[in-house]
Amino acid sequence: MNAFLNFFKKEPLAFLALIVVVLYILIAIFAPFIATHDPFEVKTSMEVEGEKVYAPYAPGARHWFGTDQLGRDLFSRIVYGIRISIFVGIVARGLSMVVGVLIGLFAGFYGGALDNIVMRITDVFISIPAILLAMIVTLILSPSLTSVIIAIVVVGWPKVARLVRGQVMSITTNDYIEATEALGANNLRIIFKHVLPNCIGIIIVSFSMGIPGAVMYEAGLSFFGLGIQPPNPSLGSIISNGRGYLMFAPWYSIIPGIALALFVLSVNVLGDTLIDYYDPTYNR
Amino acid sequence: MIKLFSYIIKRLFSLIPIIIGLSILIFAFLYLIPGDVARMIAGPSATDEVVNSIRMEMGLNRPLYIQYFDFITDFLTGDFGKSYQSGNLIKNEIPQVFIRTLQLAITVQIISFFVGGVLGIISAIWRKTIWDRIIMAISVSGLSLPLFWSALVIQLIFSIYLGVLPPSGYESGFDQFIILPALTLMLPNSGMLARVTRSAIIDVMNFDYVRTARAKGLNNFWVVIKHIVRNALIPMITMTGTNLSRMMGGVIMIEIIFTWPGMGKYVYDALLSKDLPALQTATMLIAILVILINLLVDLSYALIDPRIKYEE
Repeated sequence: MNAFLNFFKKEPLAFLALIVVVLYILIAIFAPFIATHDPFEVKTSMEVEGEKVYAPYAPGARHWFGTDQLGRDLFSRIVYGIRISIFVGIVARGLSMVVGVLIGLFAGFYGGALDNIVMRITDVFISIPAILLAMIVTLILSPSLTSVIIAIVVVGWPKVARLVRGQVMSITTNDYIEATEALGANNLRIIFKHVLPNCIGIIIVSFSMGIPGAVMYEAGLSFFGLGIQPPNPSLGSIISNGRGYLMFAPWYSIIPGIALALFVLSVNVLGDTLIDYYDPTYNR
Repeated sequence: MIKLFSYIIKRLFSLIPIIIGLSILIFAFLYLIPGDVARMIAGPSATDEVVNSIRMEMGLNRPLYIQYFDFITDFLTGDFGKSYQSGNLIKNEIPQVFIRTLQLAITVQIISFFVGGVLGIISAIWRKTIWDRIIMAISVSGLSLPLFWSALVIQLIFSIYLGVLPPSGYESGFDQFIILPALTLMLPNSGMLARVTRSAIIDVMNFDYVRTARAKGLNNFWVVIKHIVRNALIPMITMTGTNLSRMMGGVIMIEIIFTWPGMGKYVYDALLSKDLPALQTATMLIAILVILINLLVDLSYALIDPRIKYEE
């Protein structure tokens, strides 16, 4: 606890980032209570002081972040968009970790031909630009929430597998692994009881540092119309819809972008400072 | 030298299984894309007979492995077929499109190298000062902004509010149209490079020869230029290469948003219109480009840094 406080005393920016991340998680969990309007409620025109005005309405007391062209409240849509972003970020990154870790564990432990084949497969996947690969996958599966998650897993697992494989290879040279082998433990037991626990550190780091990337892919796919489908709100599709109103209603695209960037930025800042802090050369 | 040469040959051979794997993956993926190609070409009002004859003509009724074999031999002989969308030979469309992407990518890389490099050097020299903090904050922001969103903001500022630059389009390559897409792509690239340069320089700063140079009485500026920057160039150059391959995803997005008619726009249009021959060819070529860039980065490592051994 003391180390925790010390860290934040030295790195106030990281503390701010932590608050933002926690806030986003709370927004995601309590979205229905935070949203001020029904995010699907359409109202294309309304009376303001006896005059008829048409959507999109500018930000104001009634609609904090304004509305879209159908009069749907942007604050509420962004709150629900954040919920989808965080959900996709955690689930898709989590599944990429499961796939990548399992493959990396076996490739690194058994080595030889298996390792060779697995590494060539990761080479193949990494050579196609991630956003293009993700677009192709969502097109095959037809765009939806599930397709987006699968696409992010297809894009994400190879790097995880490589990372874990490298770690496993360095762990298996340790004496205690040899000792366990000599004691007659079978391979599966060694992999899951001795090797995996030693990879937990990098797995946690890779999981959390991968969440912003997953969130970005979801937003990117939705921006290009291949992700979350209307009328469901996603930060990416809100930004994309606002493009047509950039001149008259710039808030429409700008605010959801800030909401997205703020989350990604906070996770990155938090991760960077933590990695720096635990780097032994930090105080040089 | 002979060792290096045989290393290069060996690495080139190691690309063969990757490219075979790539072709299988792309072939399989595109086979899975829903929609009947023959019916699409025939048009919605065509009778079943017409659709069937088109299918026969295109060889779509043959076993999959024969179709795959056809695809790979055609690809290797440079016969990419005709685009469904434009009806032109893809072979004739690609070079032009490819050059436009190179124009954008290389411009961005060169500018980012200098901008990122200078920011990184400043940041490293005045480490832990306010300047370092500001530069690092800008870099991490550049990395964290969604590209498709920063593109809109940049269009809003320069085209709508200031009205000084066209929001999108393409004329000859190096003219006013390249400024906004290049600026957008520079944000993450320079940010990445500034970070790499900073940490490379901080690493070098602690070496003995730097201390010796300082002890000799050289002033800080010359120590930095002569001894430190020179050694930090290796990671900077490799990072530029790595960035170039990583940047392809960003280039695709930026080309779509700024309607820059390069490979990215081409592949996206092919994807949306299910123009399979064009999509196949463009995806293969983009991936092969990425593989070759990565190979070059590896080779430049081996060339620049004598500590890297050629044999594994």
